[in-house]
Amino acid sequence: MQLAVEGEEKMSIVPKETIEVIAQSIGITNLSPEAALMLAPDVEYRVREIMQEAIKCMRHSKRTTLTASDVDGALNLRNLEPIYGFGSGGPIRFRKAIGHRDLFYTDDREVDFKDVIEAPLPKAPLDTEIVCHWLAIEGVQPAIPENAPLEVIRAPAENQIYQQKDGPLIDIRLPVKHVLSKELQLYFQKIAELTLSKSNPSLFKEALVSLASDSGLHPLVPYFTNFIADEVSRGLNDFLLLFNLMHVVRSLLQNPHIHIEPYLHQLMPSVVTCLVSRKLGNRFADNHWDLRDFTANLVALICKRFGNTYITLQSRLTKTLVNALLDPKKALTQHYGAIQGLAALGHNVVRLLVLSNLEPYLSLLEPELDAEKQKNQMKSYEAWRVYGAILRAAGLCIHDRLKIFPTLPSPSPSFPSKGKGKVISTEPNKRKLGVDSSENRSPHKRLIATDGSDGGPSPMQVDRPTGDANPPQNSVRPSSSEQASDGNAPESRNAKEKDDSKGRAITRKAILDQIWKDDLDSGRLLVKLHQLYGDRILPFIPSTEMSLFL
Amino acid sequence: MDPEQVDEFVMGYLKKKGFNSAAKQLQEALHHNNGGTFNSTDYHNDPELTKLIRSFSQSENDPTRYRDGYSKLRSWAYNSLDLYKHELLRVMYPVFIHCYMDLVGKGHTREARAFFNSFRKDHEMIHLRDLQKLEGVLVPSHLEEMEFARSLRQSKVNIKICQYSYDLLLQYLHRTESTLMLGIINEHINFQVYSGQPNSSSDDIDAVTIVGSFQETADHINQKEIQWGLLEDSLEDRLEKTGSLLSDSEKGQGESKDGDVDDSKKRSNEIGKQGSSLKKLKKDKAGNATAKVARQETSIVSPAPRVKPELALPVMSTDVEESILEDLRNRVQLSSVAMPSVSFYTFVNTHNGLNCASISHDGSLVAGGFSDSSIKVWNMAKIGQAGSGALQGESDTNDQNVGPNGRRNYTLLLGHSGPVYSATFSPPGDFVLSSSADTTIRLWSTQLNANLVCYKGHNYPVWDVQFSPFGHYFASCSHDRTARIWSMDRVQPLRIMAGHLSDVDCVQWHPNCNYIATGSSDKTVRLWDVQTGECVRIFIGHRSMVLSLAMSPDGRYMASGDEDGTIMMWDLSTARCITPLMGHNSCVWSLSYSGEGSLLASGSADCTVKLWDVTSSTKLTKAEEKNGNTNRLRSLRTFPTKSTPVHALRFSRRNLLFAAGALSKPAS
Repeated sequence: MQLAVEGEEKMSIVPKETIEVIAQSIGITNLSPEAALMLAPDVEYRVREIMQEAIKCMRHSKRTTLTASDVDGALNLRNLEPIYGFGSGGPIRFRKAIGHRDLFYTDDREVDFKDVIEAPLPKAPLDTEIVCHWLAIEGVQPAIPENAPLEVIRAPAENQIYQQKDGPLIDIRLPVKHVLSKELQLYFQKIAELTLSKSNPSLFKEALVSLASDSGLHPLVPYFTNFIADEVSRGLNDFLLLFNLMHVVRSLLQNPHIHIEPYLHQLMPSVVTCLVSRKLGNRFADNHWDLRDFTANLVALICKRFGNTYITLQSRLTKTLVNALLDPKKALTQHYGAIQGLAALGHNVVRLLVLSNLEPYLSLLEPELDAEKQKNQMKSYEAWRVYGAILRAAGLCIHDRLKIFPTLPSPSPSFPSKGKGKVISTEPNKRKLGVDSSENRSPHKRLIATDGSDGGPSPMQVDRPTGDANPPQNSVRPSSSEQASDGNAPESRNAKEKDDSKGRAITRKAILDQIWKDDLDSGRLLVKLHQLYGDRILPFIPSTEMSLFL
Repeated sequence: MDPEQVDEFVMGYLKKKGFNSAAKQLQEALHHNNGGTFNSTDYHNDPELTKLIRSFSQSENDPTRYRDGYSKLRSWAYNSLDLYKHELLRVMYPVFIHCYMDLVGKGHTREARAFFNSFRKDHEMIHLRDLQKLEGVLVPSHLEEMEFARSLRQSKVNIKICQYSYDLLLQYLHRTESTLMLGIINEHINFQVYSGQPNSSSDDIDAVTIVGSFQETADHINQKEIQWGLLEDSLEDRLEKTGSLLSDSEKGQGESKDGDVDDSKKRSNEIGKQGSSLKKLKKDKAGNATAKVARQETSIVSPAPRVKPELALPVMSTDVEESILEDLRNRVQLSSVAMPSVSFYTFVNTHNGLNCASISHDGSLVAGGFSDSSIKVWNMAKIGQAGSGALQGESDTNDQNVGPNGRRNYTLLLGHSGPVYSATFSPPGDFVLSSSADTTIRLWSTQLNANLVCYKGHNYPVWDVQFSPFGHYFASCSHDRTARIWSMDRVQPLRIMAGHLSDVDCVQWHPNCNYIATGSSDKTVRLWDVQTGECVRIFIGHRSMVLSLAMSPDGRYMASGDEDGTIMMWDLSTARCITPLMGHNSCVWSLSYSGEGSLLASGSADCTVKLWDVTSSTKLTKAEEKNGNTNRLRSLRTFPTKSTPVHALRFSRRNLLFAAGALSKPAS
């Protein structure tokens, strides 16, 4: 059948050529063009009529697509013979006649009887069945495979529309739809178990790696924050648990796929608790100092990452910490945590908040340090820890002040770092003061102090992922070890290196002189620190400056 | 203007119109005039008149005048002030279709088509279906043949318009001297002018209505009195009495104490049963308690009128009565905050052959009518007992289709010789009626699984058949434009309801059995008195063929759904549309009111079941009458299915909603 596209110009969308073709096909050869033209509109009218009836049949068959059987039904309604040959289901393919525009024919292939007979019987069609399921239970669609997937986001939107439209008239209770997949639930359970059990450290490490890297964990973040908050408040006596929890926090912070900011406010109290709580785990048996150091670095990490978006974060945090530090009623452990936290936040914080309060605080600490006055060994040990921490903070600060000059090259690459720990560990001042049992503890303490300070890319360095990476600190190592070795019996291994670096230092002296003079403030600060600490500050002063200073 | 020229025009006009004698007379008069001193009439000197005469003669037959006149009017209407625009635009559609039909009637087929195609877009949004019908009209004889066109030509359109808009329109028509448009407007539009500001554009449901003989008869018919109340002494009635007025009845029946004791025993038994069944259906007793309270309240607030049955109703056996009463007692009270549970029966592997589905009143039986003339009945209760495996069995479990005795797990009913278009269960579920394209209705027994009676009477395919709420009687409707009332024991119809102008597509009984409602392709719904066979209401407002009907349980309201997805709620007593419920975007196949009438469920070809709050939509209209609030839409919930158009819906007596549909492959 040929259909005219440009119907506007013709009388009917059925062109007279079609009428002529039909006439020929039924044996009328002498149809005049006028008659064809007259017939065309009527043909169109009849075809439309039949299609309208066919649409009725389609509607009553509860379908929305018209089929050949509907047309047959419509022809039946008009007492006409149905058109045979199209009732096979499936859409009919029309082909374009070559050489004729808008002329189509149905693709009716010739079928060989032999093929039909020899072809295997087609599979019997499946019989009709009824499947029953709950489309809704008391107005809520259950999330079962038979139902269309829930659109979680759409529900509240709909609700909003209702509220806008109907105002307070209605009380729609919306189900809380929070879809947490089975897998995620299992994952959360497993992580929680591992965190609580403490029995399988290697597996827990794996879990931490997974927490820090997996991408699909975001739905679990509220659960984790909740979990951490709960467990921290409950398990303040359980040192290992707290440590594990802080590890989990760190892993969550490290995960690049997690958007943790909305939950920070829930997380921070727990973290700060682990930093400045009076009692974390067993006072004697557990090394809660480690936990405090670790948490201090965690706090610094958080401030660094989210300080820009939450401007009040750091100020609120430092306020808390300074309050803890300056309150003489607080335990020394709390002071320690506060100092470490402040130190981790950077040298500016230390300079502004710690150094300004250094003098009164040290005077406060003095009696505790004195072995004669403080009989309690534990107390005095704690006091020494605090002293060490504050010394280190101040020292690093002054070191940083001295090292802000970029022209100072670092001599570190040539320096073998393996001797570092040993050298520093034998700090002279400690021994001079003669604290009991410091023999076995002081090396440990110093290790911590130095560990915190070297964040540079030294190949043999102990792995501290969240050290405050201040590049100038690289150079603290040679100098401090030099100082240490100066004060102590020099070790033969380092002697040669020392000479080397000294030689190099001299060549740079001219430059340094210049800068040194510029920064009188630093000088003054150094003097003040020296007054307070005596020689103990000296390890932090780089050798070049030291020589100048002395 | 030369007077002779005018005379010539007049002559030409008269001749063309065939007024030969008048022309002759005029000629004579003219001769006489020329010869004598007879004072000529002043029409030669009146320029206005000559112009008018000229326009008549010159362009009487010019088809371009329609196009020019219409496009001018159109651009004027579109450029009018926004405040009056929507009122003026209402005029455009009748003018458009009459311009088109005038052109066709005068034989300007080509111009008519061009005219139609250039302005068709303006009206497609609202009048698409009518335009599709009119599009095929190309030759004057079609106008005669086509009923729709004929009715349009014969009737007038009623348009409500405010005074100012009306004046604007008249001014425009006179100023531009578009006599043609003026003529069409005068001929086919009846303005109902009101004073004051124009109405908001959204409220135009009855702003445009058809008048003329049809509308008049409709108005006349709608004046008739109908009694929409429930039957007196119905089961609901009895339930209320036994439930709330227990003490009264005891007082009154003091002398027959024995019976009372029995009754109370029965009652206590029922309460026991009630508990277990409640658990089964996941419904709480609290809801039931509130249900009773609410029912009492409604009965106190608005005592629904009770009417006597006009038909001899079948006597219900006491067993059946008791079970229904128990169901009613256990009914969950539904409201906008208490939603029903929906159980969905999905037909799989139908190969596009499912034409209709029906669910029995208790939801245990499901029947499907297929295009291959077969009817299949599933007993869901039995399938449920057979194990959940059968329920989950989809395409892969072919062997499960064959039951333990080597048969399918449905009952196959064969007898029709054409596609089955409708099936309905009798209230107790013991009979099935089916209607088919072979023009017959067949009665089947679900116990014997056999055909009992074949009812022949319709001359064309029977689109729908429905059992009455009490059984025994049933109503059918057909392509032959009639609806018929039958009783099971007679092979001839008891009543024939004729009056629809096109196919009668669906039929529904009123709860009191005294009326049936029919929906038709002529876009109206009619209500018929069963006893007299008279049409007592005509509901006009749908814009396309009406596909589904539902009556509220209190008999006061009716809902009808059409091809476009619009659902309309009607007040039976006033024949007015309470509220159009828009939301579906395809055919509404099925509607069902919840047991106490607070919710309306609708199932559609757009693969959703929607729940509508009926109480608020009726309440709002009362408020609306006062403050003109037009916010009437109140869709509560939409339950999308997985690409399953919803063919059938039924609220069980306990207010569990059953739905059925055939899984169809997504169109992608």
